[in-house]
Amino acid sequence: MQAVEHDHTYHDRNKERAQAWAKALLLLGLGLYFVYNIVTGNLANYVNARFGWLSYIAAGLFLLLGAISVGVLLRGQDDHDHHHDHDHTPLTWGVLAIIAVPLVFGTLIPSRPLGAAAVEGNISLNSSISTSSITTFTGDPLTWNVLDWLRAFNQSDDLSSFNSREADVVGFVYREITFPDDQFMVARFTISCCVADSSAIGLPVVFADAADFPADTWVQIHGTFQVGEFRGDTVPLLYADTIKVIEQPEHPYLYP
Amino acid sequence: MSEHTHKKQSRRHWLLWLSVTAVIGILLAAVLSTGQDAGTILSIFSTRFLGIFIEAVPFLLLGTLASGMIEAFITPEDITRFLPRNPFLATISGAFMGFAFPVCECGVVPVVRRLFNKGLPMWVGITFLLAAPVMNPVVLVSTLSAFGFGQILIGRFVVTAVVAIAVGLVFALGAKPQEVLRPHAALPVTGGSGQIMLKAPPTPRKPLLVGLRDALQMAGDEFFDMGRYLIIGSLLAATMQTLVSQETLLALGRGPVVSVLVLQTLAFVLSVCSTVDAFLALAFAGTFTAGSVLAFLTFGPMVDIKSTLMFLGVFRRRTVAYLIILPLLMTMLISIWLNLNVVF
Repeated sequence: MQAVEHDHTYHDRNKERAQAWAKALLLLGLGLYFVYNIVTGNLANYVNARFGWLSYIAAGLFLLLGAISVGVLLRGQDDHDHHHDHDHTPLTWGVLAIIAVPLVFGTLIPSRPLGAAAVEGNISLNSSISTSSITTFTGDPLTWNVLDWLRAFNQSDDLSSFNSREADVVGFVYREITFPDDQFMVARFTISCCVADSSAIGLPVVFADAADFPADTWVQIHGTFQVGEFRGDTVPLLYADTIKVIEQPEHPYLYP
Repeated sequence: MSEHTHKKQSRRHWLLWLSVTAVIGILLAAVLSTGQDAGTILSIFSTRFLGIFIEAVPFLLLGTLASGMIEAFITPEDITRFLPRNPFLATISGAFMGFAFPVCECGVVPVVRRLFNKGLPMWVGITFLLAAPVMNPVVLVSTLSAFGFGQILIGRFVVTAVVAIAVGLVFALGAKPQEVLRPHAALPVTGGSGQIMLKAPPTPRKPLLVGLRDALQMAGDEFFDMGRYLIIGSLLAATMQTLVSQETLLALGRGPVVSVLVLQTLAFVLSVCSTVDAFLALAFAGTFTAGSVLAFLTFGPMVDIKSTLMFLGVFRRRTVAYLIILPLLMTMLISIWLNLNVVF
């Protein structure tokens, strides 16, 4: 029994106060982490931009809850009785440590979008995984991205109809050991809501100096399609005229 | 707090730490087996984990806020007043309570725990817990915008209601509240039975500002109560995804039976929030059977890795097992039956 029923010794009260401060600071810290993600644009590494507004709510609520906790502590109001009326399992350092985990990951590990290493051989040439059946193709084909092209291939009965059609796409370089020296794939991840549902798609690229571009380099490729063999499938290959190394785009993922 | 519950509690902490150790162990194994360097794996893992966390935590916060509001402004008398006396009708109304408390599966757990404290009968709470993540206006709109008005939309709502009510009734007939709920969730008075409340003295309603302040303070506390389960659940989900990719699962099969099992597993592993999972399911609609897409859209919101962890904060472990198995089997059977007998 005595292990549970705290008689409120000096030591216990100090500990509870320290934990209450830790709690308030964690709430504020999480709020600031969301603000940081919004300001730096890192949010696009994690969630579909369509749901970005949810992070604004999270930032606001964390900061509000943190401010209230700090306010209570600063007023020196002992609201123990208040808490103990309720059904909370007591706050422990263990719980505080778990809540701190996202902050630790968020601050210690540099924020990066999923890249070539996350593909692990699971890259799709036909966009079946990430396409809805209802797609209409509008606009200049030169503005189509990797996903648009794969959708177009998917819906076409005759792939050779894409022969010598021009394309201009952006993606990161992805390569498997089996690829010939003059080939790589220009790849993108698609996400519906967050990286939990990410899947990789890509177009095979043929270029004499393909080996000059290391994996994960972001490139803009201009070229024309020609149907050919790739990994045992007959698919349109993108024969590149120019490959330009570019900065990682603001939105690294495509949203189907 | 009795010695017994204290022992229980340390056992649960033990369970939490076991999960954390498992995550670390599996990650280490992944590093060793894939041959990629540890930094790369950690970076991918971090992105996946933070992705799930960042997507889910706003909903948890909104849920804790709703829970705080309930604590501050809803009296147990309100619940006894509005809920039908007949247990069967009460269970059915539990399936529709999500339209009054629109929460997803991350937000529903704190809300249902609070409602138990306010005297909501245990089985009505269970029906609410399972149904609310789908049966609410937000999911209605997101499913409508993803699939349009049609069989998937109707199927999603009907199947969810049927399964949630059935599971609630199973608990109504076969279990006592104190066997279902963790002791502190069944406190203070009713044991979640809703009956003794009638004799309790009426609770005074709080003035607005005091109520708001209390609600916000309680939301903060609740975030720490529930947030740890969300975080550990997200860690586990991210670990699973680092080990088993979506494509590996999807490659397993697309037959009328296997497709259902595959998409149920995927729903459990991905732990995607119910408010947005319709857009994800849309991606499978072209290649997978309609029944399996329905299974994804009905089972996923009821049970997934992170909500399972959160259930552990409210229910006893055996109950949590039933809360996984019953919806799993029911949605599985309904979906397979639909695949085999109904042409979508």
